[in-house]
Amino acid sequence: MELLCLGLNHRTAPVEVRERFAVGNTKLGEAAHELTALDGVAEGVVISTCNRTEFYLVAPEAAAAFALLESHLSAKTRLHTEAAAHFYRLEQSAAARHLCQVVGGLDSMLLGETEIFGQVKQAYQAALDAGATAGVLNRLFQRAFGVGKKIRTETSIQQGATSVGNVAVDLAEKIFGHLKDSEVMVLGAGEMSRITAQSLVSRGARSIFVTNRSFDRAQELAAEMGGAAVRFDEWQHVLERVDVVISSTGSPHAIVHRADVEKARHARKYRPLFFIDIAVPRDIDPAVGDIEEVYLYDIDTLERLADEARGRRQLQIDECERIIDNEIAKFQLPGIP
Amino acid sequence: MDRWILIAATLLALCGSVRGMLAVHRGRRSRSTVFWMGAALVCQMVFLWSRGQHRGVCPLKDLGEMLVFLSWSLTVFYLLIGPAYRISLLGVFSAPVVVVFQAVALLPGVLQADPQKVSGGNAWHEMHSATSVLAYGALALAAVAGVMFLVLDRQLKEHHLQSGLFRSLPPVRELLVSLQRLLWLGTGLLTVGVVAGFLMPHDKEAIGHLLTALAVWSGYVALLGVQTVRGLTGRRLALLAVTWFILSLGVFAFI
Repeated sequence: MELLCLGLNHRTAPVEVRERFAVGNTKLGEAAHELTALDGVAEGVVISTCNRTEFYLVAPEAAAAFALLESHLSAKTRLHTEAAAHFYRLEQSAAARHLCQVVGGLDSMLLGETEIFGQVKQAYQAALDAGATAGVLNRLFQRAFGVGKKIRTETSIQQGATSVGNVAVDLAEKIFGHLKDSEVMVLGAGEMSRITAQSLVSRGARSIFVTNRSFDRAQELAAEMGGAAVRFDEWQHVLERVDVVISSTGSPHAIVHRADVEKARHARKYRPLFFIDIAVPRDIDPAVGDIEEVYLYDIDTLERLADEARGRRQLQIDECERIIDNEIAKFQLPGIP
Repeated sequence: MDRWILIAATLLALCGSVRGMLAVHRGRRSRSTVFWMGAALVCQMVFLWSRGQHRGVCPLKDLGEMLVFLSWSLTVFYLLIGPAYRISLLGVFSAPVVVVFQAVALLPGVLQADPQKVSGGNAWHEMHSATSVLAYGALALAAVAGVMFLVLDRQLKEHHLQSGLFRSLPPVRELLVSLQRLLWLGTGLLTVGVVAGFLMPHDKEAIGHLLTALAVWSGYVALLGVQTVRGLTGRRLALLAVTWFILSLGVFAFI
């Protein structure tokens, strides 16, 4: 018996091809079961995320099994010769190694991301529930999850936020801990501030105030995030109660000046205040950062921190590969040399 | 024998300190610090119990005993507060303080080699000594939390966020809450100590000591008063907690 993997991902196929092969979460078990219905295929697991669709199977002969699977997929997707160019075909230990890389986030578009671990687990569970797995794939996936955990605990490939929004949210948590006791004000209803504010809400921020020159737009964004809209000439009053200010207006000059914050300090009892300035030109006067309890981060600083985290993750790749090599050597899967 | 137990306690705290610092350097949580400090606490208790047996009263009769009692108090508050507020790093910062206090106690002449039995002990005197040293333990830990805040504040202000220490430090707000609670606890205990000090039989020579204790207590009460009524920036609160603790410790060392 041979372990095989046939798949396509963000590197080998454009989204218009990937979407044709995508399998919904609720259909993963059924798709795995369909694999085992193919002639000679003993076991099967289907992994499908927005960036990849992969078919793991155990069959007696690789070439025949790949041909059978490709013809099955062609029939399902109505893509014929053009689809074959986007597939990668891996056999035996190369397939096992690839699964470990996927689980560890090494093959992801965002290097080291952790979501894939859960997605693979879900795909495996669906195949298991559908009765599509047995000795080889059960052991392979269990081992791969072990490798994923090892990569997470023994390397720093998953550490540090790699996007501006996540860096800002991580910093907010470093300052305030749980965000459930924190209030946020959004200055300017642009896309970047919306994304960052939503990240804060998803991590538990207690309430959101949105202000914008166009009050209608502020109301729209506030409604979207379950917050309250504030008229643009009243944001200074809200400053007295909030913990985080996200600013991303299109103003050609600074909107928040040191004097505005100084006025609010006494009412705030000098509590820490976190300013995230993602506007260009900057909305917040850099002198605001000189106030003792204020932590001010502009777009360049946030970009630099995200870049550094990405760089650190790149440096961890060799260490992760070494862990995978060591673990693959210990696998001893039936039929896999 | 007492001396060997104290050496063991100091080595255990040193292990906790070194292992904790190494873990922080690697950017990981220091899980073993609680264990090492717990073991150090057991040795401190054995030491204090043994000295208490010799003295027949609370063992606070020489500078060495006071330093060990203070270290014990600091360790107890760390073990009570550190895990409760998820600030295991407090141990990494307080362990070196314990090591320094106990190392000073081990210097020749600081700890009486042959502790004499004290006759005619007074309950108010005992309470004054014990609660004052306990208070200093809580206030020392507040100062440690203050130092941790100052380190984190500087890193956040200057955008230097890559060190293992930064990743290990608890959030700003948690540090400030812990700092304030320790200040309240320490000041509360100090209040009992000062009141007991004025109630104990004392001669004219003790007046200076009691007035100094009153001045230290007033400083902490003023700090908490300003913080509660007007508010203080985290940096000022931390700086004042650290400075006032060092000053008061220094003053008592000379009285």
